[in-house]
Formats: sequence, C-alpha cells, structure tokens
Amino acid sequence: MNEIATDKGKVPNDKLREMRCEFNPLSRCDGSVMYSQGSTVVIAAVLGPVEVKTQSLSIDGSYLECNYRPKAGLPQVKERIRESVIQDVLELAVLGESYPRSKMSVQIQELEDRGSIDACAVNAACLAMIIGGLPMKYSFAAVQCIINEDGEYILDPDQRETLHQRASFTFAFDSLEGDLLLVQTKGSFKIAQFNDIECLCRSASANIFQFYRDNIAKYHGRKSSPTSDVKEMETET
Amino acid sequence: MFMNSNLFEPGKSKLERNFIQSAAKQNTRLDGRKSGDFRDVKLTFGADWGTVIVAIGDTKVLAQVSCDIGTPSSARPNEGTLHLNVSLGGVAYLNESQTTHDQRFLTLNSLLERTFRNSRSLDLESLCVAAEQHVWCVRVDITVLNHDGNLYDASTVAALAALMHFRRPDVTFLDEEIRIYSDKERELIPLLFLHYPVSVTYCLYKSNSHYPYVDPILLEENAADSIIVLSFNSYNELCSLNAGGSTPTKAGIIMQCARNAAKRSKSLVDFLKKALLLDEQRRNNKEPIMEGLVSLLTNKSQTISYNHLMKEDVSDIVMREKQEIPEKVKTEDKPVAVDAEPHKKPSKATPAPINDSAWLPRDKEASPTVVTSSAPTKTNRNKSQRGAGQQKSTQKHSKQQNQSDSEEETKPVIK
Repeated sequence: MNEIATDKGKVPNDKLREMRCEFNPLSRCDGSVMYSQGSTVVIAAVLGPVEVKTQSLSIDGSYLECNYRPKAGLPQVKERIRESVIQDVLELAVLGESYPRSKMSVQIQELEDRGSIDACAVNAACLAMIIGGLPMKYSFAAVQCIINEDGEYILDPDQRETLHQRASFTFAFDSLEGDLLLVQTKGSFKIAQFNDIECLCRSASANIFQFYRDNIAKYHGRKSSPTSDVKEMETET
Repeated sequence: MFMNSNLFEPGKSKLERNFIQSAAKQNTRLDGRKSGDFRDVKLTFGADWGTVIVAIGDTKVLAQVSCDIGTPSSARPNEGTLHLNVSLGGVAYLNESQTTHDQRFLTLNSLLERTFRNSRSLDLESLCVAAEQHVWCVRVDITVLNHDGNLYDASTVAALAALMHFRRPDVTFLDEEIRIYSDKERELIPLLFLHYPVSVTYCLYKSNSHYPYVDPILLEENAADSIIVLSFNSYNELCSLNAGGSTPTKAGIIMQCARNAAKRSKSLVDFLKKALLLDEQRRNNKEPIMEGLVSLLTNKSQTISYNHLMKEDVSDIVMREKQEIPEKVKTEDKPVAVDAEPHKKPSKATPAPINDSAWLPRDKEASPTVVTSSAPTKTNRNKSQRGAGQQKSTQKHSKQQNQSDSEEETKPVIK
C-alpha cells in the first residue's frame, strides 16, 4: 500500500495500490469476485449465457447487460454513465458470437469508494467474467491517473488525492496487443501530458494482468508460469 | 444450455419440497442443525459511518445509511423522516423471475417499514432542525448481495446495525440560516433510538406443524408452507408479526416461537451493542487509517462473529489486537496475554433465560406427551409416551423455558 509521496519534484507516483481479490463470495451466480484496489472495494457478478427477452434477442451474438449500483441511494445519471462506459469495454472483449440468442449479465456493486472506482469496477468485471467462464477475446485492465495541482502525475489515486486534481484520466487496455479500449478524461491538460500518462498507464496495466494471472492460477491450484515470473522481475528492476 | 437453471431457486421443485417435508417429519435439517439452532451472524463494519455487511451463513446483505436535510411532511412537521429501501436486483440476481421478486420484495419492504418506522424505533423528533422547515431525512439502503434464506433477519439486523453505527453531521439553525458542520469542524452525532428491533424467522411444514424451523436456508424457506416472522426489541416488546401460509398452526406454537424469538432478539441486540463498542475502540486505535470493508479480503479479523463475540469481553479483544499490531511491526515474539483463540466450532451462545415472559399467556391445555432425551422418531415417541403422559398429568409441572419451539417438548403445564 502506498501513501502519497508528494516530493516537490516531478517524480510521479508510478505504483498501483495493492490489489486483492476473493473469488466466488456469492453462491447464486455463475461467477463473482470481490476485488479491491487499496481501500476501494467492489463486488462483481456474472450470469450467462441465459435466456433473453425477445426484444433483446439477436441472432448475431449475445446481448450483454451491465449494471452498476452505488452503495447509497438509487442509481442516478452518474451511475448510468459508468454503466455505459463499462458496457462499452465489455462488449469489445466478450465473444458474443459464440452464443447467439442469449444474454450475459454483468452486475457490479460498489462496496466502498476510496478513489479510482471506475478502474476498479472495470477490473472487477474482467475478473468476474474470467471466473464465470464467459467467452472473451482477451482480458482487459483499467488504470486511472490524475494530474494534481502541482502538475504531478499520480497513478491510481485514493480519495484524498482525488479531491485535489486538475485532470483525471481512465484508460483501459487489452492483454493481447495493449490496444486502448477506453479513454475517459476530465479536466484540462496538454496533449503531451496525455501521451505521457497513457504510457504510464499502459505499463501499469501489465501489473494488473500479472495479478489476474497469479490469482486465477492460485484459484485453480496451480502456480503461474515461470516465464511470467521472469517478466515480473524485469518490470520491477 | 439456455435453461435458466441458475434462476430456479432451490426448493421450488416438487422433488425438493417432498424431500424437505419428509425431513421435517423426522425433525432433521439439511445442515445438521436442530430446529431451534441459528446460523452464525457475522458483521463487518465499513470505513464510512453507517456501512455494514451482515452475513448469516451464505446470506449476505449490505446496508448503508445516508442523511440529508429536507423538508418535513405537513402531517408531522417536527419530525425527521426515515426511508428504507431494499434492492434485490444487482449481484444477487433475484429479480429475474418477476413473480417471486415482486412478492418477496414487497414483503421485505413492508416488514422493514413496520419494524422500524411504524414501531417508532428511531427518535425522529431528535432529527428536527427547524420545525416545518428543515429536518434530517435519513435513508437506509439495503442491498442484498446473496440470498441463502432468511433475508428478513439479515435485512433487519443490517438495517439496525447500520443505523446504530451511523453518525450525522452537527447542524445549527440561526437567523433563518442553516449551517452544517463537516466532521473536521465538529464531531459527528449518532442517531437516537427509542428501542432496538430485530426479527427472527420461523418456517413451518404441513408434514410436521409442531416443529418450526428457525433461521431457514433458501431450500427450507422455499419449500416451507408457512413462514412466521417476529420482530422483538430488547425490552421483550413485539414490534411486528408476519405470519402467513397454508399450514394450520396451533396458537401455542406461535406463542412458543414468540418466547424464543424474544430471547434471541435480546441477545442479538446485545451482540450489536458489543460489536459497535468493539468497532469504536478499533477506530480509536487505528486512526486515521481505517480498514473498512477491505478487511473482508485481507485477514477477516475485522469481521465480528456472534458466536465468538458473545464469549469474550470487548476489552480483551481490543487488548489482544493492540498487542498483535506491534507484533507485526517489530516481529518479536511477544506473549499474547489472552487465552487461546476461541475455537472455530460454533456453539450455541445461551444467554441467561429471561424469566420475565410471565406476561405471555401460558398454554392452558396439558400437552399430551413428555419427551425423553433420546427418541427415535417423533411419531414413535408420541405413541409410546401417550400412555405415560396420562399417568404423569396428575402431577403438577411448571412450564420451563427451553430452547425448542415445539409445544410437545415442553413439560405439561399446571392443570
């Protein structure tokens, strides 16, 4: 777990917060995961492929339903925006063509929001889909980064840091090519900063993919492959 | 492949119902509990005030309390408002089959309303800032995470725990101007209660309407013919009663259930108070970094279990945790000055039996059988004891409090 290391130079905080997950805490769905980044905790569950209503039925592929629920209050426009963002990413990743005339449902419940909840929700959805056995083209990981008032880049901010931000970026990458799946920005920034942060986030996403591999391997009772261990050592040095 | 097998809940098919009915006839339960045994209740408080996750077995419920300044209703201008909202959709996947969702949803909502709002458990007048103009509107959002039976109990415990845990900001109203202080300026204030209600659920089966099962799992609940939900507060007062179904039931059964529910409610409220005390002391020790719900993933030591908490004192637990923290930091071997970890086997915590339930009407008719400690099956016991019961009925026995909800297991009353 990293607290803010706000030196007054331009040293960016380039480490993600500690990630943890627990698989299948819920018994009634196909796959579920409780996932946390730092103190932000999210639960995601998937169900599918199951029957779909005729109005959403499609012969080309399956219908993907995505819902995000906040902890307090009824879902508002803010939650609907998050849902549509997450749904866009999921639709790119899920291999809907293998199950036409069906529905896959992904539900995300916020348990505690302590910064970068968008990225957390996307990552939890990916893990839930992997555990639930939904067909995917690739896995994906999202990272959030902010520019604070001093012009420093802070990766994976917590709630305190999010309060004093000048701009915020959320990127999602796929695991095969490293292509961008999602770009969400808020605030004002220069294009050079945008490019820098995109590179920063892309390299951070490698850690998230490694986290996925390690935990899924552990869940299935296997160790992750030795080649990935070598890669991890490389990224650390 | 596309059969909604996940959405068919256990207990809805005929085979499962027959199985549960015949198990009920033999007074056995699937998980080995006795008819009066409860599952362990586990609480985890979040880092935000008013957040709690309650787990009863596999049933998991999240409750969150929030508050806002609003205008009061014209009928009660000097009272704040309490709003309870249960959402079954979401990760619990309960709103797929619409018919069960509607009925269950409405029952759950109405039960919570009656238990908390109609019984006036929260002191709403203390939430008034300026009569007819500004009052606090407290809102409890209950999200069902997983449903494995007994959603009623889990929701009431979660709602009560969240309300007791919650702190609202301080506010002043001077010269028509309302000023809300943040938690840095002034301490947050807890809500005031007039009493603390919790509920206990029983389910009855046609094959054996004398042995209600307490705290049913989903299979038992869906196969039940009648469900009785009783809400008691810690003062042995009945706050709400919800009894319905198709099993003809003797009134004595419901009275016996009520007695045990009253006992259980009192011990649950004691547990909640203890758990809140423990949480408060943990916050004092660990400020400013409060773990909150992440503890569900890290070491689960922040989860407060009913079975464990009722055996220890809060001060012992806090002392033990205080010594565990420097142990981790210094990596020395410090002797931990407390006895061994409470054993994992859940044993039924038996609080002292309350004998002030004398106000509950005793059964006038003598129950025909006397139970011996070992009995093969219920039916055999009935037949063999009926003769003995006639002879013993001439003796006077006072009705004793016991753990069973069945009328037949109690000794015969004064004739």
